[in-house]
Amino acid sequence: MRAFPKLRPTAWDGLVVLCVAALALGTALFQWRGGSSGALTAVVSVDGEETDRFAPAELLEAPRIYSANGYTLEVCAAVRGEASPLDHRNSGGEAGIRVSRSDCPTQDCVHTGTITRGGQSIVCLPARIVIRLEGGTVAPDAVDAVLG
Amino acid sequence: MKRLTAYVLLLALLLAGCGGSADPDTAQESIQVIAMDTAMLITTYGERSPAAAYACEDVIRDLEAKFSRTVEDSDVSRLNAAGGEAVAISLDTFTLLNQAQHCWRAAQGFDITIAPLAAAWGFAGGEEYRVPSREEIDALLTLVDQGAVSCTSKTREEDPADYEDEASYTAALGPGQAIDLGGIAKGYAADKIVKVLQEHDVPRANINLGGNVLAYGDRPDGTPWRVGIQDPARADEQNAFAGVLALTDSFAVTSGGYQRYFEEGGKRYHHIIDPATGCPADSGLASVTVVADAFKTQQPWNGTMCDAYSTALFVMGEEKALEFWRSCRDLVAEEPLFQLVLVTEDGRVVVTEGLADRFALDESSGYTLEVVS
Repeated sequence: MRAFPKLRPTAWDGLVVLCVAALALGTALFQWRGGSSGALTAVVSVDGEETDRFAPAELLEAPRIYSANGYTLEVCAAVRGEASPLDHRNSGGEAGIRVSRSDCPTQDCVHTGTITRGGQSIVCLPARIVIRLEGGTVAPDAVDAVLG
Repeated sequence: MKRLTAYVLLLALLLAGCGGSADPDTAQESIQVIAMDTAMLITTYGERSPAAAYACEDVIRDLEAKFSRTVEDSDVSRLNAAGGEAVAISLDTFTLLNQAQHCWRAAQGFDITIAPLAAAWGFAGGEEYRVPSREEIDALLTLVDQGAVSCTSKTREEDPADYEDEASYTAALGPGQAIDLGGIAKGYAADKIVKVLQEHDVPRANINLGGNVLAYGDRPDGTPWRVGIQDPARADEQNAFAGVLALTDSFAVTSGGYQRYFEEGGKRYHHIIDPATGCPADSGLASVTVVADAFKTQQPWNGTMCDAYSTALFVMGEEKALEFWRSCRDLVAEEPLFQLVLVTEDGRVVVTEGLADRFALDESSGYTLEVVS
């Protein structure tokens, strides 16, 4: 049987191999880390219909106002545990968003405080407005659901 | 060099293979639903996850139309407006009223006829929060008696084979009474959702009906669902937990005085009204979590049971709650019908032994952990 001629790999061959390996590694890491989690995004819905979507950092420029079903609420940037929305820049705390004021009768949305991680939400039942954080980095100790 | 190239390409193939998501069990649908006076999040997995999630929403909307106090032609609204006369009701309402009667007989502290008192405090929705006078409370307490609620099934008495006929179910309240199924309806919805998920061959789902959680199957990585119990002392922090439960195929419901409240004259008044006093329960408990199996049980309505008992046991207080837990046994499984996590106002977390290996205390909470048997 006739032997194949000996081929000497060139530098281009090595480059192709490295590119394939890097691409595979990148794909695997992307999937292992949760795939399409993406940047942290606030999603606002009214009566179950999405009405707004923004990066929480946009609230540093100005709070956002939402009105529905006869009630109005204001959403602003905040840090967990701090009252002022703009005091957090040098605090080193966990930045997020909160409902700073609402004219709804229950005030549950205001009492909810600051949300900072994907999966958390603020609900104003009288206005039927839900503000939910999606994406972001998933902490290893994150819970799937909250009781209470 | 050729061997090295072969190894690198093999590694690349393996990594790319691991990263794929060809498993249909990992397909996911997540929808948010505002219903039953709360916000719900339904997350289903599997090839039929979208159909399953929207079928769950249909179940919730259907039940809300029957159980709501604010929907004009709901079964509950018609019962409350009937002045004690018998009213035709759906099979769902008939079933839930019977389950409510069972819970009321078993446990003090749960009573669906508390509705007029809850309204007087402003906790029925729509009214302003206020502290009623003692005279007003005493007058309304005379209307609180779930024993006066009666349900009739003509077909059951006359023809058991035709039990599914909804037209033959009726119920009546006592004169002046009104009912509110808010403390039990979400649990009933969870029970029905289990059947929907089974019908759609859903391998796993995470159903959160406003704090009533159904952990169905396990997580996509094969581990139990991680369900946090809100720390009542840090209720305004969403990442603050008393502890975390590891749950598979389970219902879990929490009741606590920190969830809905108002303050007047420097005092806090919460929404769980003690049927014995007519005032917010003051039992020394900050929250009660009831956990029960979703499948391996003799009774097919553990979701409803968890919902009702979380309220009842909050009213009872620690000692009576644990006594009640010991008395409730699943005769088939020969074990307690449910398990408990009690957060006390004096800084303890009391866990019943069946949850000891499924509960992890959040060390940052500062609570001390006690396991009871």
